[in-house]
Amino acid sequence: MAPSVRQFGACLRCVRQSAGANASLSGAPRRFLSSTPVTREEMQSQPSTPPPPSPPPAATPAAPAEAETAAKETPEYMQKWGNLDPEQVEWKRDERRLVRREGIQPVGSRRRRAVLHRSALNGAEQVPFEQLPYQCFQEARKVLLEDRQEKMKEIETMTLRINNLQAQGPAVSGSILAKEARLRSMRNHLNELILLADINDPMVKKRFEDGEGDMNKPIYRYLADQKWRKYKRLILEQRITQLNIVPDLLPALNPIADVDLGFGRKNVSPGEFVDSAISEKMPRLTVQTFQPGEKLVTVVVVDADVPVPEKDSFTYRCHFIASNILISPMQTSIPLQRIEQEDRKTKDTAARKIALPWTVPWAHKGAPYHRLAVFVLDQNEAKALNVVDIRKTKRDDFILRSFIDKHKLNPIGFSLFRTQWDDSMAGVMERAGLKDEIKVEFKRKRIEPLPHKRRTERMR
Amino acid sequence: MLLPRIFAPVRASPHTSSIISIPTTHVLAVLRTANGASTPVSGSASTPFLSFTRHASHQAQGRANGAKDGPGKRLGAKKSGGEYVIPGNIIFRQRGTAWFPGENCKFGRDHCVFATESGYVRYYRDPFRHPKRQYIGVALKKEDTLPYPRNAARRRRLNMVTAEYEPQPEPPTIEEQVVAGDLQIAEGMAKDAKPVQNLVMGKGYAYREANWDIGRAAERANVQVKEFVPGDRWAAWRKSQARREANIEKKKLRNAGKKTKPAKARKRG
Repeated sequence: MAPSVRQFGACLRCVRQSAGANASLSGAPRRFLSSTPVTREEMQSQPSTPPPPSPPPAATPAAPAEAETAAKETPEYMQKWGNLDPEQVEWKRDERRLVRREGIQPVGSRRRRAVLHRSALNGAEQVPFEQLPYQCFQEARKVLLEDRQEKMKEIETMTLRINNLQAQGPAVSGSILAKEARLRSMRNHLNELILLADINDPMVKKRFEDGEGDMNKPIYRYLADQKWRKYKRLILEQRITQLNIVPDLLPALNPIADVDLGFGRKNVSPGEFVDSAISEKMPRLTVQTFQPGEKLVTVVVVDADVPVPEKDSFTYRCHFIASNILISPMQTSIPLQRIEQEDRKTKDTAARKIALPWTVPWAHKGAPYHRLAVFVLDQNEAKALNVVDIRKTKRDDFILRSFIDKHKLNPIGFSLFRTQWDDSMAGVMERAGLKDEIKVEFKRKRIEPLPHKRRTERMR
Repeated sequence: MLLPRIFAPVRASPHTSSIISIPTTHVLAVLRTANGASTPVSGSASTPFLSFTRHASHQAQGRANGAKDGPGKRLGAKKSGGEYVIPGNIIFRQRGTAWFPGENCKFGRDHCVFATESGYVRYYRDPFRHPKRQYIGVALKKEDTLPYPRNAARRRRLNMVTAEYEPQPEPPTIEEQVVAGDLQIAEGMAKDAKPVQNLVMGKGYAYREANWDIGRAAERANVQVKEFVPGDRWAAWRKSQARREANIEKKKLRNAGKKTKPAKARKRG
């Protein structure tokens, strides 16, 4: 037996003990758990739903050109590292080198990469994933395939029924409302079936875990949504309630898109204190939606704790508004810096996206921390907003509720960070033209004690 | 082995009550343990070994059903509804949680409810927050009722005043600081060294140079360092070799001063 098979120690019980299987082990080409798409690719085709239009991401055509230039600049010592395959990198050092030289992350677990590497070293050709010679595995695959066929059949009948119902006159199916309700429930069922057809496919699971899932397909969107809801969204929800975002800025908030906030290279988890020097530049946003189709969104950054010492209370301030930004499940990045640069080039003021440019978040010395909330607001029916109109919005005393009502927006994503006085704040404020505010310090107000009761003779 | 022989007289004891002569006090103790403490050995009633048993059903002394009337703990409302309170005022003292702190209030360590804002006391229920609890809150304005509307922005006070603040451009350098007479820095050193600019509070409240400033020391002194080439094994080997040799030298120097251990000397002898 070839030594590489020993890697599957746990599965050895499953190995079919027939002579034919042993022959295939010794002679036949082998390819363990390779992630290259083979015949499985047709399995993931969605027969019923047309895939939403996916504009090719701008990064892909640029990548080879970058790689060429990088190859030219690669120093000599880096070239000595030799060929580094992201699917077969086994050692920590090589992983590090791969990230450093090629800028790619290794794929999958180190254990799997090791197995692939060893089997490649042995010169063994790899068995396609479907033909792995384990009896249990093969039997299980049969069951799963059967189930899938069943689901495909159901999908076909369901689409047929939906088409029939659509063709039917409203008089036959009751009323227009009844027909619509039925259609809606049928479509929901169809979507469920589409998920169920793929959800047990081991290749789908593997591709999702390797980060190779195609977000145009419903199954990968579903898996990503589940993953988000299991950890990141819970934390976000906690921060929304703990930091009182919900009654202070909005009456209710149900985030349905994953928003990653960061400044330059620094990622910011929701609610983190950000150094004022870091937040001087605009943040970058990554918004992952889990619904198909494109969306136009507005990004608003609001400071919810602007102190008003005259009134002994707080007010709001708007730090940033950008509108008409296109996002889709495949197009997740909102690079505000780049959007700003593009805005500068466009002559037409109405075509610009940034309505209110970024002002630095700042806080007085001694004042309580400021919550800076970043909202991603979905525009109604993906209609573009009039940026010239939004530009009239006043920064001070900005009420997010009325802004949302006025422009018919729907909050889909949320993130926040906090800011307070720090060592670099004075410099940041000076550069932002707030030199007078540096000199203002906040101190606790003395609370007058209640007047004592006059002590009577009896009390003494 | 011994027990059956001991048991025999005990079994007989109720019949021949006081006639038996008990050989030793020791055996008597054994008997008592074997037969239970209530053995009716009438002759030994005055022996020091006999003691009362206290059962749970009977109380020997004190009031039969426990003290009923201790001193009062002065619990209850200390401020009534609508009364003006300032932060820290205790509004309600209680055992357990009959009342919960609502708006602008907190629990004390003995579940007393105290105010965290100055305002007017309100006793209220908030079914959206909890269907069964009763709350004590402090309304910021006299005409407000609690609870505040559920989805409206919170009403809060800043409770702060503004003051002039002179930003310190530079922290005091060592030279400016007053140095005690015998703690003066040697003149030569002070002249060579650049005045320490960036002081931070170190451990133990002593000012020290900031870490990043220490890191720049070589740059200030114009120290030229060879560029580090990753992967240059020859240079790395030479460096590590030099370090190893230096370590051996140091070890030799250290060992030269040491006396040989007495234990070893004994072995040799």
